[in-house]
Amino acid sequence: MLAQQIVNGITIGSIYALIALGLTMVYGVLKILHIAHAGVYAMGAYLGLWAYCMVPNLFVAMIVAMTLSGVAGTLIERLLYKSMLDKSRIVPLIASIGLFIAMEEAFRLIAGPYVRAFPAHFRQKPWIFGPVRISAPQMLVFGVTLALLALLWWVLTRTRMGKALRAVSMDREMAEALGVATDRIISLSFFISSALAGAAGVLVGIFYNSVYPTMGDIPAYKALAIIVLGGLGSIPGTIFGAFLVGISETFLIGFVNIPLPRDALAFIVMIAVLMFRPYGLFGKE
Amino acid sequence: MKKWLSGSLAGLLVICFSAGTLFAATIKIGFFAPLTGFAAADGASAKNAVMLAVEKINKTGGLNGNKVELVVYDDRVNPKESVAIANKLIERDNVVAVVSGSYSTPTRVTAPIFNKSGIPMVAAYAVDPSITKAGPYIFRTGFLGQIEGKAAGEVAVNLLQAKKLAMFTIDNDFGRALSKGFHARVKKFGGKVVYEHAFAIGTKDFSAMLTKVKELSPDLLFISGYYEEAALAVKQAGELGLRCKILGEEGFDSPKFLELAGESAEGVIITTNLNRDDPRPLVQDFLKAYKAKYKMAPDMVGASSYDAFMVVAGAIRTAGPDSKAIRDAIAATRDFEGLTGSIARFNKLGEAMKPIQVQIVKKGAFHYFAHISDPEIITPPDK
Repeated sequence: MLAQQIVNGITIGSIYALIALGLTMVYGVLKILHIAHAGVYAMGAYLGLWAYCMVPNLFVAMIVAMTLSGVAGTLIERLLYKSMLDKSRIVPLIASIGLFIAMEEAFRLIAGPYVRAFPAHFRQKPWIFGPVRISAPQMLVFGVTLALLALLWWVLTRTRMGKALRAVSMDREMAEALGVATDRIISLSFFISSALAGAAGVLVGIFYNSVYPTMGDIPAYKALAIIVLGGLGSIPGTIFGAFLVGISETFLIGFVNIPLPRDALAFIVMIAVLMFRPYGLFGKE
Repeated sequence: MKKWLSGSLAGLLVICFSAGTLFAATIKIGFFAPLTGFAAADGASAKNAVMLAVEKINKTGGLNGNKVELVVYDDRVNPKESVAIANKLIERDNVVAVVSGSYSTPTRVTAPIFNKSGIPMVAAYAVDPSITKAGPYIFRTGFLGQIEGKAAGEVAVNLLQAKKLAMFTIDNDFGRALSKGFHARVKKFGGKVVYEHAFAIGTKDFSAMLTKVKELSPDLLFISGYYEEAALAVKQAGELGLRCKILGEEGFDSPKFLELAGESAEGVIITTNLNRDDPRPLVQDFLKAYKAKYKMAPDMVGASSYDAFMVVAGAIRTAGPDSKAIRDAIAATRDFEGLTGSIARFNKLGEAMKPIQVQIVKKGAFHYFAHISDPEIITPPDK
């Protein structure tokens, strides 16, 4: 029971991590809250579904969804946020919320209001270790998340691009003064974060066998709680926060029959952390 | 210009469809449902089914030679929206009667408005008890949540002989009403609820709750919720290897439930109001016509909305286009044959009494399992 609940919690935490990472990266470079990120996540799910219906191969679907979501993210930055950066921070935030709502309605108009099933079937039997069962979709979620996190770590620490991205995130003006092409780096961070969101969309679509227009609603605010909890802009903090929220949700529901809605828990954890660490778990002043 | 164009286009279409029938006048009937937002799928089902009914009536000469026009609004399951819609329907559109194809929250707030203006409203599948209490102009063709919960309890303890029970309850008025009825019936026959967990609309992950239920190993798990949540709970139960029987309610009643839950849906039993194996041609023709037109199987939301509309249409046929006369005609309805069963009459409160259908999923489709017509369970309260 305990072991099974940990497995359940890690699965959810993995998904939260992929969604929240992009949000924290965007906050890192631009200092804006990118609510439409959740729209990109839903778009990733639709793109993956569409690609899978064309070519029934999960790998292809994942690559298509990630690439196109990445391009969409870059376009959002270029066409929407770029002209607003010198305005008050509330301006891009409101534009972002507006875009998110517009995206949801666009999905509904294009794909219809009904929940779409993701027709990926797994012949793989679940792994059973004593009382613990790990189903094939769970294995897929673990595998893809782990691979993407490793890839992200490699890009950020071992490539020039990644180092430049971290430099921009630490101090944009200083990085620019030292010759970093900040414009390109900002676009790059939107591409990476949107691609991660797209991957999360596909994984959620497969794992829960459902893709629908408003699937971004809950991630839109839960990812926010997670990145605040982890420390705005901190990548390790976000990953830690995502797993912390995933596992605490599972435990609180599985062991203590709390009367609160599950989605409030992320915020309770966030408030509890902020009381002792006002800049989040890994955040700096 | 645009309005004029679409208006004349619609007019043209109607003329084509009616094949030369000339209508004396137009009767406007109001309709609201959630066409956008999280409940948009239910709104679409409700609207599609009612449009089918409107088409059928207009094709066969309308109501006493008058054309029926449905005035459709989107309430987004938002009571603020539906209050505005109610006022618009009354003041601007001058509708003679209204059908609610929506949830309890938006329907409940409109009931007193329609009642005060003397416009009859029939609620199709909203379950909140306060709706019909608004006054004599408000009717309901669907079940009350509590009655359906009682019927589910009956299925669990008497039909399936399950005594040790677990429950997942959706955290809104619908789920709470079902839970109340279920508890009452189960307690009466010695069943014991060993676990109950309330979950929010839109919950996707049930693994923590299911793991707990697996450990308790009850005879039966009763889940309330709409098909999105229901399908995920059932699917995850299958993946976790949960063995107990699963019982659901009308929220499961959608072809989408079967599609999303996949193989795990096999053997799930639900209480609902639409019997797919009903031999009456009325039902079979509807199932066929809906599928032909919308390329998907209809659900109980659609069937219920169709019935609610037909009750109004029937009343207009006998009483003419006067709201007061329509109300009296609805109240005097006798033995109305609907898709969701026959309604003998409406009680003093405006509640319909009809048998509850129990369906089972077999080979990826809903089929007849039993029906409950015990008056002790299905009689709605009349005050």
